Amino acid sequence: MMKRYDLIVIGAGPAGLSAAIQAAKNGVKVAVFDENKSPGGQLFKQIHKFFGSKEHKAKVRGFRIGQELLKEAEQTGVMVHLNAIVMGLYNNKEIMVNENDQTNHYKADSIIIATGARENMIPFEGWTLPGVMGAGAAQTMMNLHGVKPGSKVLMVGSGNVGLVVSYQLLQAGVEVVAIIDAAPRVGGYGVHASKVTRTGVPLYLSHTIVKAEGTETVSGAVIAQVNSSFQKIEGTEKHLDVDTICIAVGLSPMSKLLKMAGCKMEEAAGDIPGVDENNQTSLEGVFIAGDVAKIEEASSAMITGRISGISAGRYLGYIDDEVAGNDISKLKNSLAQLHKGMFSPENKGRIDIEETDEGYKTSESLLKKGYIDDNEILSFPGVPKKKVVGIHPVIECVQNIPCNPCQDACKNGCIKVGEIITKLPAVDPDMNCIGCGLCVALCPGQAIFLVDDDYSDDYATVTLPYEFLPYPKAGTKGIALSREGKRVCEAEVLYCRTNTAMDHTALLTIKVPKEMSMKARFFTAKEAL
Amino acid sequence: MNKYMDRNRSLGEFVHGEDDDIIICRCEEITKGEIRRAVHEGMMTMTEVKRYLRAGMGLCQGNTCGKLIKGIIARELEISASQIEECTARGPARPVEINVLGNEVESNE
Repeated sequence: MMKRYDLIVIGAGPAGLSAAIQAAKNGVKVAVFDENKSPGGQLFKQIHKFFGSKEHKAKVRGFRIGQELLKEAEQTGVMVHLNAIVMGLYNNKEIMVNENDQTNHYKADSIIIATGARENMIPFEGWTLPGVMGAGAAQTMMNLHGVKPGSKVLMVGSGNVGLVVSYQLLQAGVEVVAIIDAAPRVGGYGVHASKVTRTGVPLYLSHTIVKAEGTETVSGAVIAQVNSSFQKIEGTEKHLDVDTICIAVGLSPMSKLLKMAGCKMEEAAGDIPGVDENNQTSLEGVFIAGDVAKIEEASSAMITGRISGISAGRYLGYIDDEVAGNDISKLKNSLAQLHKGMFSPENKGRIDIEETDEGYKTSESLLKKGYIDDNEILSFPGVPKKKVVGIHPVIECVQNIPCNPCQDACKNGCIKVGEIITKLPAVDPDMNCIGCGLCVALCPGQAIFLVDDDYSDDYATVTLPYEFLPYPKAGTKGIALSREGKRVCEAEVLYCRTNTAMDHTALLTIKVPKEMSMKARFFTAKEAL
Repeated sequence: MNKYMDRNRSLGEFVHGEDDDIIICRCEEITKGEIRRAVHEGMMTMTEVKRYLRAGMGLCQGNTCGKLIKGIIARELEISASQIEECTARGPARPVEINVLGNEVESNE
């Protein structure tokens, strides 16, 4: 007898686990197969705080969400087969699995494919040298295995993956020599770009990598400017002293198992599987979830996973049609919240967005330089236009992205995002800020600062989010850096606060000359720069 | 007949490109120039290029180079990459030693 389950889920990442949990909660007998030795997919290397709202687990670090999912999977009786490499999916819902060098076959009445995505590569001279790697690979090395991928890194790609991994490289003590992108605009969230640029990492847009230098391993890189049709401009080559080159140029769905089983693709020659409104593919009873369906954030993958889990439960007769319909529509509403704003699927690739949803002119410098210019900053609703007495938040979140923890963080109601979580946070001008700093620590984009212009006659204080170890001690003297990462003035650390609720985002309060309170946005004890 | 399927159409003379020596398929060490030349020699689909050169037939099974090969064929044929037919997907989806395939357990408790 071949072993049978009601439902087989392939892939134990955020989508697969969410799908399995959702189905198991409804009595479905579920088994999850994953080729890795531990479950969680890419979640356990996501050490940053997630965006979204409470229901999307915003402000919680990715790996903690992974721990929660594993606990839930155990409680609901989901069986997880690890080190189980699914080699084949056949159209009678049978899978062939390599487990401990033995080929096993399993069958189910329904299948959910949550195999995720793989990193895209770009070929250039020397790209096969050791030291050239996917940004995701670098992240795995650092965050799962505790190994620095190199000491001086060039990041190719300014999307969220490139920006987030660059930041994490800095946290690991690796120098990020530059971030380049062939596009003329930053691809990822402005807040992700800002938290890297303010540390002094240069961003070269309209630049491509020409070659990786070296014979045994990478010993340098050559980049060059490109024109509007992405062709290299001769004579613009620039050498960078790096030992590692990380490639972050997008992801592609791993849909081979589906193709193998005869599933119809969205485009005949493409790798995106076609689905109906319940995530069912052209094969009856075969559903998909997560990045294999559409490349998105883990937050979305968990929701699409739950939708597929319910759909499979309904298909198998465990969930009543009406209940399933209601639950799916609730989940779709939750997903729709994440799908709004400037980075929504429908706005993808658009370069003509000139105004935010509220009608504020978008920050050009954020897109072209990776930070908000001094002359743009005052126009946004999170930044007070007139002098405020005493300590107050300055929110430098100026793009419509789905996120609202700042609103919940402030118990005094100083910060308002509203019902639609992609709206820009606004600061109430008649606020009663007590300087608790929770908004600063809980903002996943690290875009909130506390400014107190009345610290003394000559000095102001700036409180900034800080995630680099060791934390500077009170009394440490150093320099304050601007949003651009340039030296603005001398600064002194007054105190560094942490507590459990802040979850490893420290609040660093520095003292700067009064006129610098709206310029100083980072602190370094190093004299260089 | 669309442009893609027209196998009688001339692609012009093969001109050596400056980046032709870059390896595209790392597992089988196939260069960009070899793939471009294969297209000029009449290989117009992913499957044809794979069988002709072994590009995408190595350990990673085209996971890294598949998209790159598709782009090279498309540029050579001057059509969109979405028109290039992909290779047939068949098991095993991951590399496996033949003794593992042979070690098949029929009754699995």
